[in-house]
Amino acid sequence: MRINCPYCGPRGNEEFAYLGDATVRRPDPAAEDAAAQFYEYVYLRDNPAGSHRELWYHGGGCRSWLVVTRNIRTHEISDVAFADAGDKP
Amino acid sequence: MAAASVIARRGKADACAAAITAHYGVTLPTGPRRAASGDVVFAGVGPWRWIATAEGADAAEFVAQLRERLVFVAAVTDQSDARLVVRLRGPRVRDVLAKGVPVDLHPRAFKAGDVATTLVAHIGVQIDMLDDGPTYLIAAPRSMAGSFWSWLTASAAEFGYDVSRS
Ligand SMILES: [Zn+2]
Repeated sequence: MRINCPYCGPRGNEEFAYLGDATVRRPDPAAEDAAAQFYEYVYLRDNPAGSHRELWYHGGGCRSWLVVTRNIRTHEISDVAFADAGDKP
Repeated sequence: MAAASVIARRGKADACAAAITAHYGVTLPTGPRRAASGDVVFAGVGPWRWIATAEGADAAEFVAQLRERLVFVAAVTDQSDARLVVRLRGPRVRDVLAKGVPVDLHPRAFKAGDVATTLVAHIGVQIDMLDDGPTYLIAAPRSMAGSFWSWLTASAAEFGYDVSRS
């Protein structure tokens, strides 16, 4: 599998680390229903047979966090973007 | 070789680029490219991150001056003692590198002035192409120098090579 890093260009997956589902957000631990939210966040994950947005870290290259849209059935990658939208600091 | 990482601070990317242009006369590359002015080079190694090097300069002096010039606009960290840097040149250099460099180094894909950060034999390296000689500069972590050297010499063995200090 090759991932087209927006900074480095296409690289083999040995340069990247998979860092999980990019569609979920860590709940606020101070929220009143935090326990329920964390239960949902930690355990009730979707496992779609198809397109999925996931976080990958380009540790063997430019060290960017990326959001990769990948078809879990075919491994076809339809989009790669910086996780922070490439925002200029 | 004097070297430092330069990371633009939040909201200071433009100010960082302007300061570098004012002091060193180079336009900071936004992608994996190098920009040189005399012996000073800024190589893009990630978004809003560069490795600045100066050949022949006093490392402590170069880094202190860079830090002073970029104060408030970039984080500057001395890397001079952290890296082994080798310069490779010769007609079969690409054949040697092809044994371990996963990046396409074909002249159509990787040109003079291009930079790549990648893994060679599991070792994180920065590769700069200097000219169409072809000449490449490869920087590897000093703590991995022995492993990198063993990969390099084993890969070059069938073509023959000379080692010289610069
Ligand atoms: Zn990258």
